[in-house]
Amino acid sequence: MEKLYIDAGTTWTKILKIENEKKTYTIEKTSDFKKKDADYTKCTGHSLTKKQGIYENEVVALSKGAQKYLEDDFVVLDLGSRDIKYIKFENKKFKDLDWNCSCASATGATIEMLLKFYEVDIKDLVFTKEKYAVTCGIFGLERIMDDVANGLKPNIAISKFVHGIAYNAFNFVKGAPKICLSGGFCENPCFIESLEQYSTVIPLGRFILTEGLYEIDKESYLCSKSTIE
Amino acid sequence: MKDIIGFWGYPRIELIEDMKKKYPNAKFIDLDIDFNYPKQNSTPEAYCVIIKNILNNALYLKERIILILAPIGKDKCDSAFFVSEILKKQGFNIIQSTFEDKCPNINNLSLPICKSNLSLREKIEIITKNIIEQKDYSSLPQTKARFGFWGVPPNDLSILELFPNETEVFGWCRAVEAKYPGDFELEMYVDKNIPTIFFAQSFCSKNYLAKYLADKYQGLYIDIDSTPTNSAKAKIEAFLKLR
Repeated sequence: MEKLYIDAGTTWTKILKIENEKKTYTIEKTSDFKKKDADYTKCTGHSLTKKQGIYENEVVALSKGAQKYLEDDFVVLDLGSRDIKYIKFENKKFKDLDWNCSCASATGATIEMLLKFYEVDIKDLVFTKEKYAVTCGIFGLERIMDDVANGLKPNIAISKFVHGIAYNAFNFVKGAPKICLSGGFCENPCFIESLEQYSTVIPLGRFILTEGLYEIDKESYLCSKSTIE
Repeated sequence: MKDIIGFWGYPRIELIEDMKKKYPNAKFIDLDIDFNYPKQNSTPEAYCVIIKNILNNALYLKERIILILAPIGKDKCDSAFFVSEILKKQGFNIIQSTFEDKCPNINNLSLPICKSNLSLREKIEIITKNIIEQKDYSSLPQTKARFGFWGVPPNDLSILELFPNETEVFGWCRAVEAKYPGDFELEMYVDKNIPTIFFAQSFCSKNYLAKYLADKYQGLYIDIDSTPTNSAKAKIEAFLKLR
């Protein structure tokens, strides 16, 4: 029997398919995924409606997924297209969380937009010691446009913006000395190198939330089984 | 026809009682609440939505308002003082009120609404209604709290529906039930054994208190402007599930 665990973000949908105990991971554009009438087992993410019994809170999915792979004490940061969330566990117990609720101008979608706008490949981003202040991402964009107009190469300007996002992320997790990173920024070496200036970084990839959904599904199955027995 | 006494926050009780005697047929309207009246654009865009509500309501109801009871002390905020002075200049009859009395027994208060088994939304609605009604709620069934909510009544009460009934009320709402809305120690009181969500309205100076207390008691700090985003709701849900 096939089971589908879906994390439908603003831009990208991460899919974990389990069939005959074999796991397959795929990523699709959310706009394409939403055109399909997929019948999924559990889901999370900003782009799906909250169906009772199927939808799970994103931070809960993140914590379940991370708990499976990490030690007793950990900080996980999930940096996505439009939002940033973090969760902290100490002695296997929940300790703290945060989730940006409003401004999304210093997250992944902005980087994708900048790369497209300046026709820069993500591979051309390089770590720069300098960074733009991106507490307000819109002000950061203004700095990029000014500096590019004054002759700075777009890939360097975007790299400085990426460093600003990394610094923001470090402050967002309240200066944690070790950060387990989840989400699309795991595939951005410039971001990881920038974040490593402040903290030890352990990239977990893009499927931690779907793994969390799988764990939650297993728990609810075991729970319902023990109730029947 | 003038038939409304407007108020915000918690005017002094003796002032409310005087007005009830003087204007027995007047209707008391809490101007803090969003009644969806037409928006005035006189405040900066990034400004406390509660103060915007006061202005929108007062100006829309101007022809019906007899007078406004206007708390301006530590029991409300500086913005309320400013808005009371500006409304005065616009022809409103304003009676300013300062309600900063100290509570003599913070640790031994009877707070039947804050500790009741009603839904959190009902608790907050009753506390604010009771500013005028002054009914006795001492017979409400009580509950053992699993969570705490600290703060003022949110502009959009729907976020309160995310909490279970076993949620105890702290902060300014608790101080209001105790009838000491300006007692800072009472406002800052929290039960450290109860996981608490510390809420403040965006652009309100109480955000500092909310963040300070959330850090101190390992709670969740959240600020919301006029209506909560999906992420704000999800953040509360996650905290309630994980703690």
